[in-house]
Amino acid sequence: MKIDEIIELFHEADYQETLAMLLDYSENLPELPEEYKEARDAGYNRVTECETPVFVFVDVKDGKVKIYADVPRESPTVRGFVSLLVDAFSGATPEEVESAPNTLINSLGLDKKLGTRRMFGLSAVYNRIRSEVRESAAKN
Amino acid sequence: MAEYVHPEVLVGTDWVAKHKGDDGIKVVESDEDVLLYEVGHIEGAIKIDWQTDLQDQLIRDYIDKDKFEKLMSEKGISNEDTVVFYGDKNNWWACYAFWVFKLFGHEKCLVMNGGRQKWVDEDRPMTKDVPDYPATDYKVSGLDESIRAFRDDVVKHIGSDNPLIDVRSTKEYTGELLHMEAYPQEGALRGGHIPGAANVPWATAVKEDGTFKSADELRSIYMDENGLKTGDDVIAYCRIGERSSHTWFVLRYLLGFENVRNYDGSWTEWGNLVKAPIEKP
Repeated sequence: MKIDEIIELFHEADYQETLAMLLDYSENLPELPEEYKEARDAGYNRVTECETPVFVFVDVKDGKVKIYADVPRESPTVRGFVSLLVDAFSGATPEEVESAPNTLINSLGLDKKLGTRRMFGLSAVYNRIRSEVRESAAKN
Repeated sequence: MAEYVHPEVLVGTDWVAKHKGDDGIKVVESDEDVLLYEVGHIEGAIKIDWQTDLQDQLIRDYIDKDKFEKLMSEKGISNEDTVVFYGDKNNWWACYAFWVFKLFGHEKCLVMNGGRQKWVDEDRPMTKDVPDYPATDYKVSGLDESIRAFRDDVVKHIGSDNPLIDVRSTKEYTGELLHMEAYPQEGALRGGHIPGAANVPWATAVKEDGTFKSADELRSIYMDENGLKTGDDVIAYCRIGERSSHTWFVLRYLLGFENVRNYDGSWTEWGNLVKAPIEKP
C-alpha cells in the first residue's frame, strides 16, 4: 500500500482498529534475508535511539527503495510500525519516501491513540529510514 | 530466612493459573508496549494501559475519580474484586497500575511475581480472546493521596532526616545522562538529583527471572546499605514516577514501610523546575 492510503486508513481507524492494524503489520514483517543476518548479529545498523533492538537495512537499486528490518516479536508496537514502513516504502522511489510527511506519526494518529510517551522510538526509526534512503539514493 | 512483611500481596504463576477464573478475581495486564496484550495474554485478563487508560490526556495527572469509576465499571471490575496485576519488564508497569489503583482506594490488589515474562517462559497458555465481563457500578469512596508526593512535599524533605530515594540508573542520578538510556523524549533541562537523595536503581530489587529478591536481600539493599528504617517517611522518585512505583511496592509491601510515597512528577518535573536545587557529584 502507498503511504497516503495507509495514512487514510489509520486516520479513519479508532483505537481498537489501530491496534488491530498494527498487530497485523507486526505479524507480517518479512523475515530478515539471510545475507543481512551476519551484519545484524555483529550489531551493525541498529537504530540506537530506540529502546527495542531494531535493525534496518536500506538499499536503493534501479531507482527503487528496498528496506529489510528485524524487530523482536516481544515489541509488537515498534515491529508493527517498522513493518508498515516496509510496506509503504519498499518498492517506492526515493522521491516518494522524501515526500512522505515529516510528521508521519501524527498523520497516522499514533501519538493521540497510543500516547505521546511512546512516540520517540517510532520517530527515531522513521527518521533513520528516510535519511538512509536519502544517502543511498545520493550514492547511486 | 525472613519473610516479606506482606507476603499476601504476591502470588505466583501457579496461583494465577489455578484461580484466574474464580469469582471475585480479576487479572489485569499492564505493559509498556501497548500491543503486547493483543499478541496474547492470560485467559480472562483485562487490559489496562498506563498511558491511554490511567493518565489524563490533557493535563499531567491521572484520570479523575469519575473516569476511574467509568473505566472500572466498563471493564467489569467491582469494588470487592481482588485485582491481580502482571505485565512486561519485571512488572514495572504492573506496579505502576497497582499504585494508581491504590490512589483510587481499591482495596484488594495483588501482583503476580515474575510478571508476563515468567508466564511466557513457563510455556503457559495465552489467548487473544478479550473477555467481556458484565459492567459493574464501581464507586470510588475516597482518594488515598498518602501514597503520592508532590513537589512541595519534596521541598520539605530536602535537608530533613527523611530519606529521598532516586531509583533511576546511576548515570541519570549523577547527571551524566539527562534521560534514561534510549528514552530521550522524557528528558529534563538539567541533570543530577534532588539534594540528599540516595541512588538505588529500581531493578536492584528483582532477580534475573523477574521475580522479587528475597526479604533478606531486599533488607540488605535498602536498610543495611542505604540506611532506610521502616518508620521513615520516604519519598521515591525516578523520571516519570513509574520505576519508583516499583520501588514503592517493594518498600511498602515487601519490607513493610508504612510511610512511603511516590513522587510521580519525578525528574521530568524537578529537572525542569526553575530554581529547584540540584545536587551533582
